[in-house]
Amino acid sequence: MTFLEISNISKTFGKVAAVNDVSLEIARGEFVTFLGPSGSGKSTTLYMIAGFFEPTGGDVRLEGRSILAEPSNKRNIGMVFQRYTLFPHLSVAENVAFPLRVRRWPAAKIARKVEEMLALVRLETFADRMPAQLSGGQQQRVALARALAYNPPLLLMDEPLSALDKKLREEIQDEIRRIHRQTGVTILYVTHDQEEALSLSDRIALFNQGRIEQLGKGRELYDAPRTRFVADFIGHSNFIDCTITRSEGESADIVLPDGGTLSGISLHGAAVAGARAGLMIRPDRLHLSALGKPAGPGIDAVLSDATFIGETYHFVFATGWGASVNVRIPASRVRPDDVTIGARMRLHWEAADARLFSQ
Amino acid sequence: MTVTDVPIATPSPVLAASRRRGRGFAPVLPALALVVVVFVIPVLALLLRSVLEPEPGLQNYAAFFASTTYLKVLGNTFLVAGTVTIATVLLGFPVAWFLAIAPSFWSRLLFAIVILSMWTNLLARTYAWMVLLQRTGIINRTLMDLGLISEPLPLINNLAGVTIGMTYIMLPFMILPLHATIRSIDPAIFQAAALCGASRWQAFTRVMLPLTASGIAAGALMVFVMSLGYFITPALLGGTSNMMLAELIAQLVQSLLDWGLAGAAALVLLVITLAIYMVQLRFFGFGQARS
Repeated sequence: MTFLEISNISKTFGKVAAVNDVSLEIARGEFVTFLGPSGSGKSTTLYMIAGFFEPTGGDVRLEGRSILAEPSNKRNIGMVFQRYTLFPHLSVAENVAFPLRVRRWPAAKIARKVEEMLALVRLETFADRMPAQLSGGQQQRVALARALAYNPPLLLMDEPLSALDKKLREEIQDEIRRIHRQTGVTILYVTHDQEEALSLSDRIALFNQGRIEQLGKGRELYDAPRTRFVADFIGHSNFIDCTITRSEGESADIVLPDGGTLSGISLHGAAVAGARAGLMIRPDRLHLSALGKPAGPGIDAVLSDATFIGETYHFVFATGWGASVNVRIPASRVRPDDVTIGARMRLHWEAADARLFSQ
Repeated sequence: MTVTDVPIATPSPVLAASRRRGRGFAPVLPALALVVVVFVIPVLALLLRSVLEPEPGLQNYAAFFASTTYLKVLGNTFLVAGTVTIATVLLGFPVAWFLAIAPSFWSRLLFAIVILSMWTNLLARTYAWMVLLQRTGIINRTLMDLGLISEPLPLINNLAGVTIGMTYIMLPFMILPLHATIRSIDPAIFQAAALCGASRWQAFTRVMLPLTASGIAAGALMVFVMSLGYFITPALLGGTSNMMLAELIAQLVQSLLDWGLAGAAALVLLVITLAIYMVQLRFFGFGQARS
C-alpha cells in the first residue's frame, strides 16, 4: 500500500508557480530525496506536507487519509530544519522531552524515551547541556532526536546539513543512514547536494521549475537521464552540439559539426530532421585511442589540458569545431608518458552510453 | 595624562594599559561633569535639606510615614505605575509581535506611528487626552449618541484618566525593547514547536513567553520606574483624591515651601526605584535585559 501519496499538488505565490502539479507515491520505510537547484519547489513541497504552506491545489494523503485539513501540530510528523531550531531556553534533554510534554506523556515514560533517543543519536552525556553549548552537528543530532521522540511515521528533513562543514556532513550522513535503518521511519529529505542525495536515498525526485523532472533510483537518474536538465544536474556531462538528420521514435541519426555522422542514438524528446540537439556522454564513459583506430562511434580531438587529481586523470579535449570535451579516466589506466598536451587522439564511446537530447 | 608624557622608546605595559584606560575614559568626562553639576549636586542638596530642615534629624521622614495622606499618595503611585505597567505589557505585546512578523510595509508604518507619537510634545498629547476624555468630549458624546450610556462617564480627573493617558504615553517604552527581543527569535523555532505537536497556546506559553521574558522585564522596568516619578500627565488627567508622589513633591515645594518634606518624599521615590532596579538586575541581569 502507498504510505504517503502526493497527488497533483500545486502552490502559487502571486503569479509564480512555485510547485506545479507534483505527484509522488512513497512506500513505508522508504528514504526519498527531493533534489534540485534553489527555487525548484522542493522545499515548498516539503513545507506543504509539514503544513506551513497551504497548497493551491492537489492533495497529500498519509496512510490513505488526507492531512491537508489538519494544522501542523496535529499531523504527527517529525521535522529537522535547515537552521538550528532547538529551543534555546531548554536543555538538550528538555528539548527532546518537549514534544512528549505537550502530548502529556507521564513523566517516567518521558524520561525513558529521552534516554533512548539520546542514545540513538549518541549524545547521552550531553543531556544537561544548553543548545548554545553544542556544536552545529550536535545541535542537528538533538533536533533529530526531538523529531523522532514521538515515533512519527514520517520524518521531514529540510537541508539539515547545509550549515555544517564537509567532514561533519559526511559523519552525520552516516548517522542518518544508521538511524533510518534502525528505526525504519519513512524519510523525505530535501537537499541541493547531489552527492548527499545519491549516498542517502532509496529514490530521488529531481525537481526543476516546480515540477519533478525525473523520479527514480540514483543510478537510474545517472545512467538513464530522461531530460537534458537531469543529465546536466546529476554527475558531469558533455553535450556535443549536433544536427538531427533522421528521427524515428526514440532513435535518431545525427551529423556532427565536422561532418561526421552517427546513427541509431537513443533520443529523448521530440525532434524532427534538421533540428539541433545535444549529444550527451559522461566524461567517465569516454575512451581514448590512437588516431585511425576505428573503435565504434567517436570523434577526433586535441588534448588541451590534463589534471591529475589522485584517483583519476581529468582531460580536456578541443574538438575541430572549437568545443571542449571533458574526459575522466582512472589514473591506473593512464601512463604519465601518454599525456602530451597538443596530441591528437580519438575519443570514442559505447553506443549505449550516448544519449541525444533535443534542444 | 597626555600622549607625550610616555616615552615611546621604552613602552611599559603598565603605562600603556593605564594610558588606554585614560584615553577611553576621557571622552565621557564632559557628559559626566554635566550630570554631576545639574543632577547629582541638586539632588544631593535636596536630599540634604530633607535631613537638615527645619532642623537636623529624621523628623521629615517620620512625618512622611506617619501621615496617612502621604502614605495614600505613595500607595496610589504604586497602583498607577503597576496598572500602567500591566496595561502596557498586555497592549504592547501584540504590537511588538506584529512589528516583528508583519510584511515590511505594515511594520514600517506601525513603527512610524509608534515613534511619531513618542516624538510629539508630551504636553500636547496630554491636552489632547483631556479633550477626548472630558464630560463633553468625543468619547462620552459618541457613547451617548449610540445610546450605550445616558450619563457621561467620569473619565478625567480620576484614576481612569491617569491610567488611560499614561498607558498611551508609556506604550512605546514597552514596545521597543519587546520588539527587539521578539525580532531576535528565529521564526523557524515556532514552526518546530508546531510540528512537535504544540498548540498555539502551548507554543506561546512554553516557547514565546520564556524567550521574551527578558524583553518583557526590560520594558516593564522602564515603564514602571518612569511611571513612579511621572508628573505632567497625572497632574492634568488625575484628580486631587488620587495624587501621585511627583505631584505631592511639587506641591510641597511650590505651595507649602516645605523643602525638607519634599526632599524626604524624593528620597523615598529614589530608594524605591533603585530597589526595583536591583531586583530586576538580580533576576534578569543587565546584559540579558538588553539583548
